[in-house]
Amino acid sequence: MNTAEVVVNMPPANAMEAGQFIQLDNVFKAYNNELVVMDGMNLDMRADDRLVIIGPSGSGKSSLLRVLMGLEGIQGGDINFHGQPYIKSENNDSKVVSDELHSRVGMVFQHYTLFPHLTVMGNLILAPMKVHGKDKQSCIAKGRELLARLGLEDKVDYYPSQLSGGQKQRVAIARALMLEPELMLFDEVTSALDPEMVTEVQNVMMQLAEQKMAMIIVTHDMHFAREIATRVVFCAGGKIVEQGTPDEVFGNPKEARTREFLDKVLHLN
Amino acid sequence: MDYQFDFHFLTGKADMLLEGLWVTLQLTLYANAMGVVLGFVLCLMAMSKFRMLRWPCQLFIEFFRCTPVLLQIVWFFYCIPILFQVYIDPITMGVLALGLNLTAFNAEAYRAGIQSVPKAHFDACVALGLKSWQQTLYVVLPQSLRTAMPVLLTNGISLMQQSALVAIVAVSDLMYMGKSIAVDAYRPLETYSLIALIYFLMALPISHLVNVFERRQDAAMQR
Repeated sequence: MNTAEVVVNMPPANAMEAGQFIQLDNVFKAYNNELVVMDGMNLDMRADDRLVIIGPSGSGKSSLLRVLMGLEGIQGGDINFHGQPYIKSENNDSKVVSDELHSRVGMVFQHYTLFPHLTVMGNLILAPMKVHGKDKQSCIAKGRELLARLGLEDKVDYYPSQLSGGQKQRVAIARALMLEPELMLFDEVTSALDPEMVTEVQNVMMQLAEQKMAMIIVTHDMHFAREIATRVVFCAGGKIVEQGTPDEVFGNPKEARTREFLDKVLHLN
Repeated sequence: MDYQFDFHFLTGKADMLLEGLWVTLQLTLYANAMGVVLGFVLCLMAMSKFRMLRWPCQLFIEFFRCTPVLLQIVWFFYCIPILFQVYIDPITMGVLALGLNLTAFNAEAYRAGIQSVPKAHFDACVALGLKSWQQTLYVVLPQSLRTAMPVLLTNGISLMQQSALVAIVAVSDLMYMGKSIAVDAYRPLETYSLIALIYFLMALPISHLVNVFERRQDAAMQR
């Protein structure tokens, strides 16, 4: 696979400071008013952070990403982005208040979610053309460049059904990168892949990390989490139980619940 | 059987048969165009989150699905002029009756197609910033159309066969012309056999097309 660097969109310098990039303020979310998945969550992410979120199933990891992408609402609290209101809750409901900020966030899902009726290039250029009104030729040129950098230059005219799982996931990453996001969200992107395909996707994410792309990653792969993260956040029961550098959280967890979780998963790994 | 077949008299009726065939084709094509387009619109409205929009559309679908098409045709031809003082030419009336019936059935085919679009694709649309109408146009419609295509084509063939019912209300389609020829010549066996053959030859290629789509769909699902 081509290992050339992927050029990423860097946020302004002041976003490297605390409170200037993504800020969750007492965010509350429950499904059907019963299953609480975010219970007063507070989080301050800087633009040079690569946040890896770990925790047991139902701890609110994926919900956090889905909320940040505007896929699901919250029932309490607010989320700021670049110091401006991004998601506001009101009367047990919420909305994304800034489309402009929303467009600076990209997301890659566990199950690829490529549109099967479009070719690889069709998937890449759909949003830049239709949402951002960019002209087709420049979108295609950019798409080719991205695909080349991700080692997929010969797959331009392929349909998703003709690709392997790892290739589909790399195309999904390329599709998100086409919109030049400042923040990338990765929701268990290697969980559905065969083991030999996991590495090719993780390599792409490592390239992005080397380019200082801000990302939030939900993963069960603790080895990869330790490798890519600048900060690890452990969630359980809808709360952030512990956070710190990978060495702090994996090497010397302070909380009993973190230790218990890590004992289990590291043993399994 | 001592019946003597004689198809020769039909050669002199070719112009009548062609005239009827042309009307049948018009009914089929226009009603299908109406059903394919309005079916999708009706489907979207019937799946709307707004009850006031959803309920009337669901009622419309159920009405056309749960009453005989012959009754719908008769009702259109006799009741609309009485109720609304509207007098439309018979072919247009036939297209309306058959087209609205097909709209209801196609709406259900589209609904099945839309429901087959994975929920994750809608999430991807939001993540990419596609507006609701863009999701429908660029993601939902192409995928649901592909899934619904075999059913839409089957509905289209059925409509061509059902179009023969308009002969009851004196629309001069293929069936009506056949009936006239059969009565004039006292030769129902030859006439109706030929009419059946014409319908069969028109439907056969479409039926094969359905099989091709289904095979392609199966292959796509297996990949």
